[in-house]
Amino acid sequence: MKDEGNIRVMKSPKTVELSITNRCNLRCIYCAHFTSDGDQGSDLSTAEWLKFFVELNRSAVLDVTISGGEPFMRDDLRELIDGIVRNRMRFSILSNGTLITDEMAAYLASTGRCDYVQVSIDGSYSGPHDAFRNNGSFDLVVAGLKHLQAHHLRVNVRVTIHRHNVQNLDAIARFLLEDLNLPGFSTNAASYAGLCRSYADEVQLTVDDRSQAMETLLRLNKQYNGRISASAGPLAEAKHWLEMEDARTENRAKLPNCGSLRSCGGVFSGMAVRADGIMLPCSQMPHIELGRINQDHLVDVWLTHPEFKRLRERRAILLEDFDFCRQCDYIPYCRGNCPALAYNILGEENHPSPDACLKRFLEAGGRLPTNNGQLIIDN
Amino acid sequence: MKSDDRPLADPMLVLREEFDDWAILFDPDTGDSFGVNPVSVFIFKHLDGRNTLDDIMHKLSVECEDAPDDAEQYVAEFIDSLVQKGFAGFEQ
Ligand code: SF4
Ligand code: SF4
Repeated sequence: MKDEGNIRVMKSPKTVELSITNRCNLRCIYCAHFTSDGDQGSDLSTAEWLKFFVELNRSAVLDVTISGGEPFMRDDLRELIDGIVRNRMRFSILSNGTLITDEMAAYLASTGRCDYVQVSIDGSYSGPHDAFRNNGSFDLVVAGLKHLQAHHLRVNVRVTIHRHNVQNLDAIARFLLEDLNLPGFSTNAASYAGLCRSYADEVQLTVDDRSQAMETLLRLNKQYNGRISASAGPLAEAKHWLEMEDARTENRAKLPNCGSLRSCGGVFSGMAVRADGIMLPCSQMPHIELGRINQDHLVDVWLTHPEFKRLRERRAILLEDFDFCRQCDYIPYCRGNCPALAYNILGEENHPSPDACLKRFLEAGGRLPTNNGQLIIDN
Repeated sequence: MKSDDRPLADPMLVLREEFDDWAILFDPDTGDSFGVNPVSVFIFKHLDGRNTLDDIMHKLSVECEDAPDDAEQYVAEFIDSLVQKGFAGFEQ
């Protein structure tokens, strides 16, 4: 343990996200990867990854998330996963789902170490899904998902909400939870990162869209007994913002872990590696280069790199100290949100993210979800 | 368990030390994990198929001056619990 003031840091990361390839068979126009700082040159060799897995094992890392680009683009994926298994780790995969064959699903199941495969489905039919992804990708991902289900692998479907599917949410929930019989699905929204920055006006939700998406998702989540989840995007915002509004109207002193930049817990439990082998504090912050695998030691980087320290210490930065938050009634109930998003918009991680600011959302005409004119506090 | 048994931990188990010398034991095949206190961490590190129960007891008493009176029982119970979970066996 290392004590940084009152900040306790584990001896090594518990989990590491590995972007094993920079390549992808699709080119979704809201892709957070392409054109970001994570979109770097050529992929590492098999041997380099296998060598790094030995270090992960020695450092008692428990699981890895395999991402990309599109991980199934790598011909040596099985060899890499065999290396992960040999080195006593579990794994999950973040994929667009279009390249998953029955044979590959059978292999993943046979390892006994796969926690889940996340695939992206953005519509209840090809129209809204293919709108911003490649034509034909909807049919391919549904086929891939069925292969995973046939081999009893846990599938996490991620729905990215954007301007062309925000009207399709009821049908999406029906399709995923009833027709495909998934236990649940998660949602987020196209956010200002990577390629999306060039198409933000076409893709990202307007204030009205966001208001509507929050209300619809809360209603659907109730209807489907909490089977819809979110750590970002309209559903997550609806829950947190309603809590903030409730606390404000009740004039409560504070909400737990609020009042400073405390939203990001990721840098206390995990880190990431770019496809070119550069270590990062989080895959969403590919501009913060911490060292290179197989040259710099993972645990040294984790415990001593000044950038990690800076990101961990951001929770001591008070919201009241920002001009941005001046005279905001929500300060005691706000956490300032994701530093990666703040960086993408403002070029600074240690700042509240304007995109997830309740005050600005309301000033822009946004509405918190209501039912018969009453705020939905019990969500 | 006999005092000259030589317990051996499953090499696939991960001992992950976290805060204040506490650790978690993680079974990657099931994803199960459970917390272990500093004394158990010490014992676990000696389950290498070379140390007998007596050896571990002796080393524990050297390392931990105020080892409780029931330390022997504690060591045996901890190892038994690992064996029952399939996390340890005995070197022949
Ligand atoms: S930077 Fe954002 S995405 Fe990354 S761990 Fe923190 S909150 Fe999560
Ligand atoms: S201005 Fe926005 S980010 Fe700052 S405290 Fe208010 S709601 Fe939070």
